[in-house]
Amino acid sequence: MAELSLKNVVKRFGNFEIIRDASLEVSDGEFVVFVGPSGCGKSTLLRMIAGLEDITGGEIWIGGAVVNDVEPADRGIAMVFQSYALYPHMTVEQNLGFGLRMTGNPKADTERRIRRAAEILQITELLDRRPRQLSGGQRQRVAIGRAIVREPRVFLFDEPLSNLDAELRVQMRVEISRLHKELGTTMIYVTHDQTEAMTLADKIVVLRGGNIEQIGAPLDLYDDPANQFVAGFVGSPKMNFMAARIIGKTPDSVTVSLVNQDAVQLTLPVRDVPAIGEMVTLGVRPEHFAEAGQGDADLAVKVDVAEHLGNTSYIYANVADGEQLVIEREESRNEINRDKFVVAIKSSRAYLFDGAGKRLK
Amino acid sequence: MQSRNRIAYAFLAPYLLIFTAFWLWPIIDSFLLSFQNTRVNPWTFSPGLNWGRLSRDPAFYNALKNTLLILVVQVPVMITLATIMAVLLNSPLLKARGLFRFAFFAPVVVGEVAYAAVFRLMFNLNFGIINKLLNTVGIPSVSWFAEKPPAMALLIIAVTWRWAGYNAIIILAGLQSIPNDVYEAATLDRVSKIRQFFFITLPLLRPIILFCMVLSIIGSMQLFTEPFLITDRGGPGGGTETLGLFLYRQGFVSLNFGYASAIAYTIAALAVLISLLNLWLGREPK
Repeated sequence: MAELSLKNVVKRFGNFEIIRDASLEVSDGEFVVFVGPSGCGKSTLLRMIAGLEDITGGEIWIGGAVVNDVEPADRGIAMVFQSYALYPHMTVEQNLGFGLRMTGNPKADTERRIRRAAEILQITELLDRRPRQLSGGQRQRVAIGRAIVREPRVFLFDEPLSNLDAELRVQMRVEISRLHKELGTTMIYVTHDQTEAMTLADKIVVLRGGNIEQIGAPLDLYDDPANQFVAGFVGSPKMNFMAARIIGKTPDSVTVSLVNQDAVQLTLPVRDVPAIGEMVTLGVRPEHFAEAGQGDADLAVKVDVAEHLGNTSYIYANVADGEQLVIEREESRNEINRDKFVVAIKSSRAYLFDGAGKRLK
Repeated sequence: MQSRNRIAYAFLAPYLLIFTAFWLWPIIDSFLLSFQNTRVNPWTFSPGLNWGRLSRDPAFYNALKNTLLILVVQVPVMITLATIMAVLLNSPLLKARGLFRFAFFAPVVVGEVAYAAVFRLMFNLNFGIINKLLNTVGIPSVSWFAEKPPAMALLIIAVTWRWAGYNAIIILAGLQSIPNDVYEAATLDRVSKIRQFFFITLPLLRPIILFCMVLSIIGSMQLFTEPFLITDRGGPGGGTETLGLFLYRQGFVSLNFGYASAIAYTIAALAVLISLLNLWLGREPK
């Protein structure tokens, strides 16, 4: 087990900067998730920690030592790949023990470690099979098992569930969570799926375009996003954004008018306010709309589509007007008035962002 | 449905006719020919004649021995070379990779007569560059065409030069189908590059290498051009006569088509047998 830190880490391919000045502290035993859209650099960052990619600048520390120039095998890490990367010509047992056998680890110890990993992952009965005889979920278990037998100080997971179907993904997610509790090892997990990030992480690192946008506990990111990107990325369905104009302000509040929503006005407790007349963005999560009359401003919308999932419903509104809103309603099994559906916005549950996407508090 | 089938067969008919006339019929006819005495006019049915002669003919055994010797030495050497070339061609460190790939593949494209002429010049006793190079390191000139062992070596060198690059390109395709993350996983598993080659690359290339070996075995069993052109019709004194050349001599020099057919069937049967043996030996362990 080990703590890990990144200090001003940079990665460049030619003139193109993939990772910009990334700094991060990971405590011993912590489960950290790197999340972000495709191409944001999250996998590159993970591979830099693994030593599979060179570091252009900065330092990576594992267990109190700089590992920039340490060979991947000597960093005390184990990695689970998206494609599983199992050795196709070997049985599960050989896959698990290959690395240990190649490095001359004592036979009894190798067998003990294989047995233990197989028991933890419940793959004992699969030990004689080859990867092609396994299902996707079983292959992923073997890939995780191969990481476990190394008894690493840090586990690295590179989108390990993205090749599995939805049901299996949920199941494996729970298992990885259980595994973390059982082993207590530091884990770094890369995903583009914010649900995986929210459910697994002790700490989430949101990346975009090679920048770390925000680091925080899942609910902190949900409740207190640093900018519009994080606000939109964390939470499902994503936060609604509405164009607004500043029409009034006091030292500790600001009044905005929603330009595409019948100029509905709303006053928010915001101190850090741009000038009157400036354009901003108002953000409201689908689940944070209130019943008409129970918020600080009522918003009449035209309903386009309603999806009823049983426990909840998603109402897609104002699509035709170009500024789509998604509204989550727990009790909308009844027919809704499509032409005149009114919800309320609570100023305490609305977020304001400036033109550059920075959160205004 | 039946009329649809009829139309389909009507479209297929031209191909099937050509297939029957130029492929199926010659195969059947040559098989029947092998049971006929074609040294008399008209040809007569004489089932034991050609096959009986084949089992006793020292010239056949000489050609068989030469062919098997080339096969046993040349095929493993060439496949090993091809594998090494493929690994080098696949290296990310290699510059001008496209050029090298073309260069290795080029011998297949070069005309057989041209390449044979160049080899004859290069290995000439008196003014060939190979003997000159040997002389510079203190080795006396080798009479490549006048003695059997050097002539055999020359054939093996020539065939290897011609086909190693071709096989390397096939093996390269196999190498490129091995996902990179398998090697990355092995690197994290602390497995050295050399061990990665022997424990990951080679086992995963097994089907491709087997395929190349079968192709090469079939090619070696039919070897004709090199002994005909380079060592001058299997010279010296039949020392490099292969089964292909022996078949040619019987069929097209002596015009003994019956005997030539029996030889042709023997070559085909041996190629199948050796290829099957090779596939069986190289099968994936259970």
